[in-house]
Amino acid sequence: MTLRRSTDPGSHESRDRALMTPMIAQNVHGAIDAVWKFESARIIAGLTRMVRDVGLAEELAQDALVAALEQWPGQGVPDNPGAWLMTTAKRRAIDHIRRGERLERKHEEIAHALEQRSLEEGVDDDVLRLMFVSCHPVLPAEARAALTLRLLGGLTALEIARAFLVSERAVAQRIAKAKRTLAEERVPFELPPGPELAGRLASVLEVIYLIFNEGYSATSGDDLMRPSLCLEALRLGRLLAELAPRQAEVHGLVALMEIQASRSAARTGPSGEPVQLHEQNRGRWDQLLIRRGFAAMLRAREAGGPPGPYVLQAAIAVSHAQAKTAQETDWEQIAALYGALVRLVPSPVVQLNRAVALGMARGPQAGLDIVDTLTSDPALKNYHLLSGVRGDFLAKLGRHDEARTEFERAASLTHNAPERAFLLKRAATGTSRVAGVTLGQAAERFLAREDLDAETIRSYGQTLRRMCLDLGAGTPLAEVTAGKTSTVFAVAWNGAAAKTWNRHRAAVRSFSAWASIDDLSAGLARKPESRERRPSIGPPQLDALWECPNTAPREKTLWRLLHESAAAARTALSLNVEDLDLENRRGRVTTKNGPVRLSWRSGTARLLPHLVEGRTRGPLFLADRRPAPARMPGPADLCPDTGRGRLSYERAEYLFKQATRPLDPSGAGYTLHQLSHSRR
Amino acid sequence: MRFLMTSASEQAADETLYIEMGKFIEELTRSGVLLATGGMELEGSLIRSSGGEITVIDGPFTEAKEAAGGFALIETRSKEEALEVSRRFFKILGDGEGRIQQIFG
Repeated sequence: MTLRRSTDPGSHESRDRALMTPMIAQNVHGAIDAVWKFESARIIAGLTRMVRDVGLAEELAQDALVAALEQWPGQGVPDNPGAWLMTTAKRRAIDHIRRGERLERKHEEIAHALEQRSLEEGVDDDVLRLMFVSCHPVLPAEARAALTLRLLGGLTALEIARAFLVSERAVAQRIAKAKRTLAEERVPFELPPGPELAGRLASVLEVIYLIFNEGYSATSGDDLMRPSLCLEALRLGRLLAELAPRQAEVHGLVALMEIQASRSAARTGPSGEPVQLHEQNRGRWDQLLIRRGFAAMLRAREAGGPPGPYVLQAAIAVSHAQAKTAQETDWEQIAALYGALVRLVPSPVVQLNRAVALGMARGPQAGLDIVDTLTSDPALKNYHLLSGVRGDFLAKLGRHDEARTEFERAASLTHNAPERAFLLKRAATGTSRVAGVTLGQAAERFLAREDLDAETIRSYGQTLRRMCLDLGAGTPLAEVTAGKTSTVFAVAWNGAAAKTWNRHRAAVRSFSAWASIDDLSAGLARKPESRERRPSIGPPQLDALWECPNTAPREKTLWRLLHESAAAARTALSLNVEDLDLENRRGRVTTKNGPVRLSWRSGTARLLPHLVEGRTRGPLFLADRRPAPARMPGPADLCPDTGRGRLSYERAEYLFKQATRPLDPSGAGYTLHQLSHSRR
Repeated sequence: MRFLMTSASEQAADETLYIEMGKFIEELTRSGVLLATGGMELEGSLIRSSGGEITVIDGPFTEAKEAAGGFALIETRSKEEALEVSRRFFKILGDGEGRIQQIFG
């Protein structure tokens, strides 16, 4: 049954417009907005139970709000404004059902029955159902967050857009599309049945924590607006904890958020620089929130069951909060908690945190032993904290030269200026370096040679930059050995194609010869390059790829496009919105080799309009975030509406590889190149 | 935004008021708005520091009509929301007066 009346996302704008109209009764509008934010979740939830369609329910609720905006300024705010809104909305829903199904007596009866049953009755369960629906896994993560803020938080599209640094239009469309998807997929307005509950609850928790982190880890943007996202997440979490009190993970998440939020004021220094946990002024921690966090943690324990990831993270936060000074921190306990967390969430970042805790508990060598098992993990190869932590342990062990190299490496990897300054300062303390040519200086001179063509220099540059990064540009050239070079290669390029490996190896040979030093590539065997390219992706893998449930719309579209057009990934990524001829399923881009035409089939054609979403110009495939000022691309690679940059080839390749790892029998993951050549 | 609401009502609390207020507090807690609340002595003591000298004057200071006092620390998105909370609060409490002050830090 679909009772959808209109799919026009513009119908919500009437409210925003009305709120902005200058009126004498300005304070009445403020009051109405406040009432709405308190009541909207309950009203929408109750209406959804009646009409079984979230989108329609929200529109009916909005109608009631518009009625309030029309009537209250003249007639005054009613005695019980919440009940007034609820009654008005309910009346409209019943009218709607009657109007739509007049001929069917059955539905008259339904309407009658609904009139008998109070909307208030069971409304808590309705709100919980609404939460599960708006966080449903059929929706992409961004849409879940936006829809949840809209339906459960009562926020306008503009308020959500400001919080996520995107355009209001994009948010309105995202929400409209999400509601459409829920209707099309016939997502039921029910609590998930027992076996599904845990998984679905995880999805709700993920959305709330995503909203929280979007606010908590904001280092740029409108600083005043972002903390409000933390507040929204806290409110959603507290609400969920009341609605689903027997779920330990819900209380765990609330505890985690309350305690993290308690440190907000202490997290930044006077000039906005980040302050690490152990250096924070604990007097500035919000004791009220800490106590609330402790209380939530107690409820999590009472709910019982084996601790999940949120409860464990909350327990770590609790342990920190219990230490009156940084010195009093119980690092043994924290290390044990990280150990438990690593078993549930086997991520190298969690493992690194465990190393830090163990280093604090049992001395730097214990920490270093774990860190050294992580340095060969490709996932961490550009993670500055790994070098920072390793440098810290080395410095504590008195191995200052090695520590310096790590700090320099960490400094060159971080994008945060105050952090870089801090790391360079740490690198500068310790013993002074022996004089002599450094690796960085030699590399620089090597690349400045005039007898090499630009392409070769670019290629050699890649190799030497990685060497400088990993070994430290300040390391004396005399200390660079073939063994150290082999380690760099093993971490950076072991998984790369034979051709790539050999190219880097050739660069090192050339560099060694030029610098008149022992051949640094001595420990590196040349890899046989097979003539054949890697095989294309097989039909069963492709089918599995298309069915992947959690693929974001952008990736879905790009992958389909590459498969159907057989275009090179770089060409497809250079597409602009204005290059598309949607009707004729083709596009045209100008590459360095001249103009290239792409044409696609129905799969791409179905997806493209959703990706374009009302945009008229700029890059078709956009990066997730706005670029940092230091990495600002040219205007041709920026979306004029959202300010986000063009999705890079490297990122697209990485995402595809990650996503296809489970599908690839070799476990390595496929390349976009293979996808382009996969058409049957 | 955090606000401290203090209030003094002119009626002594009866059974109905306790029940109604209990429901209201439960609802506020549930929606994540209420951070802390409790009853409050009405007059208290006045402390004044002047020229390095501290004087403490015990109440009452006025001919008190009020019968019961309370406070609530709430967290809302806006002043309007805070006003809406206190509006509902006084609907239950009846006649009396209160104060809303935003809290910083």
